[in-house]
Amino acid sequence: MKKHLEGKVAVVTGSGRGIGRGIAILLAEQGASVVVNDLGCSVDGAGQTAQQADEVVNEIKAAGGKAVANYDSVSEFASAKNIIDTAVKSFGRLDILVNVAGILRDRMIFNMSEAEWDAVIATHLKGTWNCTRHAAGILREQKSGRIISFTSTSGLYGNPGQANYGAAKDGIAGMTRVVARELGKYGITVNAIAPVAQTRMIASVPRDKQQAAQASRGIVTPKASAASTIGEPDDVAPMVAYLATDAAAGVNGQTFLVNGGLIARVSDPAPARTIVKRTRWEPEELAAQFPRTLGLDVPNPAPPKPTA
Amino acid sequence: MLEGRVAVVTGAGRGIGRGVAILMAQHGARVVVNDYGVSGDGRDPSSEPANEVVAEIVKNGGEAIAVADTVATMDGGARIVNAAIEKWGQLDIVVTCAGILRDRMIFNMAEDEFDAVIATHLKGTFSIVRAVVGHMRERGYGRIITFTSGAGLFGNPGQSNYGSAKSGIAGFTKVVSRDLGKYGITCNSVSPVAGTRMTLTDAYFKAREVRKAQGIVREERGVASIENLSPDDVAPMVVYLASEGAGNVNGQIFLCAGPSYALVSYPRPVASIFKESRWTVDELLETVPDTLMAGVANPAPPREEKA
Repeated sequence: MKKHLEGKVAVVTGSGRGIGRGIAILLAEQGASVVVNDLGCSVDGAGQTAQQADEVVNEIKAAGGKAVANYDSVSEFASAKNIIDTAVKSFGRLDILVNVAGILRDRMIFNMSEAEWDAVIATHLKGTWNCTRHAAGILREQKSGRIISFTSTSGLYGNPGQANYGAAKDGIAGMTRVVARELGKYGITVNAIAPVAQTRMIASVPRDKQQAAQASRGIVTPKASAASTIGEPDDVAPMVAYLATDAAAGVNGQTFLVNGGLIARVSDPAPARTIVKRTRWEPEELAAQFPRTLGLDVPNPAPPKPTA
Repeated sequence: MLEGRVAVVTGAGRGIGRGVAILMAQHGARVVVNDYGVSGDGRDPSSEPANEVVAEIVKNGGEAIAVADTVATMDGGARIVNAAIEKWGQLDIVVTCAGILRDRMIFNMAEDEFDAVIATHLKGTFSIVRAVVGHMRERGYGRIITFTSGAGLFGNPGQSNYGSAKSGIAGFTKVVSRDLGKYGITCNSVSPVAGTRMTLTDAYFKAREVRKAQGIVREERGVASIENLSPDDVAPMVVYLASEGAGNVNGQIFLCAGPSYALVSYPRPVASIFKESRWTVDELLETVPDTLMAGVANPAPPREEKA
């Protein structure tokens, strides 16, 4: 088998477990030297241990690959710099950044605390920006690079109970579109993956609720639902490795949904239907026009409960 | 259309927010005009812009009070929301327009440029919505209208902070609409295109001169120049979304550019490949270009090296 990432150096944040782990291992198999970054905290961000990152590094080395562990937090600007610097110090360069690190603190908006909001925004949104910011200078100078960030159907479509996570993840989708347009001309691509996989993060949500939510959003294809709906975390890695190859140089600013063997390119938001007037609208005429134009057949995703 | 209602409009001292506050008052709403009164990049607070808009509303027979507080802290958000409830006993509508800009390419952007923009837009939207949702849920009624932007929805170079914040607000809106819809509350987002002090900057006019010098003139292609799009054209859509009649419009994003209003689509799978087992990298190298990526261009292709 030909290795497609020979000589490349990759940083994979949050790669001690779950989806990140599968990516680190596959990138190493493909010949990349990998910085396995993981803070080793619990799913809600508490506690820290070096164990997860070390185990993945050992696994990669045992299989003949090259890897070093890093235990820094992505959510602090300075410690995120350490993660990127580890790649340069250990392997002399940086080619690929994969932003996977994340935590969950689910709560309905009317009960969510400031701390729950801040922690999730800091890890996902600031964490992705921190690592991207520190990598951007290096990649721009060498005029090549691959950045792959992680968004979520929670942000793209809206999952109840995840105002923090949905905001962070749709924010990452926006960041990806912006940074793709900033760095593309320097030979760098920036793309996003929305994974659907059974990890410890998603394991806390009851299964049938997940399926019902997905079906209501129309994202379950007949084939995929027959294949039990939720993919394995390791199913996500091949698409990430593909995006990291030289051959994927033309793929930039895109978002891909990966669920098991189903991979889809997701459209950017775009105007779907438009109404135009020569002069300013009056709210009253808009109220008359709206239901038969912009609002036609657009369901309320959570209609009011009928009063008894 | 808003008779008997009480509204909070953040960032209502100038620009789009000002137009929203004034039109809501014209339609009978009592309005908290919130504006921190800062410069376009978030400095030098002043209560003057909010006071001026209140004076204008009152002069025309409307009811309004000014609150010159920041949305970027939870306490600030709570004080703005509580001002409405203390004054009028209820709050039916919140509109979150407050925002600042600190544009910079990502490889040059300072941490505080990212943080300040996220704090004002994203945290500032959360702080207001979080402060009001308990009240709205108890009353079984509410209208929340947030502000997103094409900078995040479509991707504008130089705005990794603003684009992230604004796209984050879109995701926030989608989640909150699903958290609250069953309680008779709607949450929608407006993506405005208008000439305001946030968009009609020196950088904008400089870039336009460069385009003209290079012979690239967008206006001749029928693209409206942003300075001809009035911020006041956005307000009628916001008033409609805030009205009782729009009770079933929930979780949507609307692009408002002058008198042109569009419903923005949710992201959706537009091309897909499927395999019963896990894909290999070799298979993807062979398959993706002609399937998932067929006909899709790089929005910013590498520059040709000069010979």
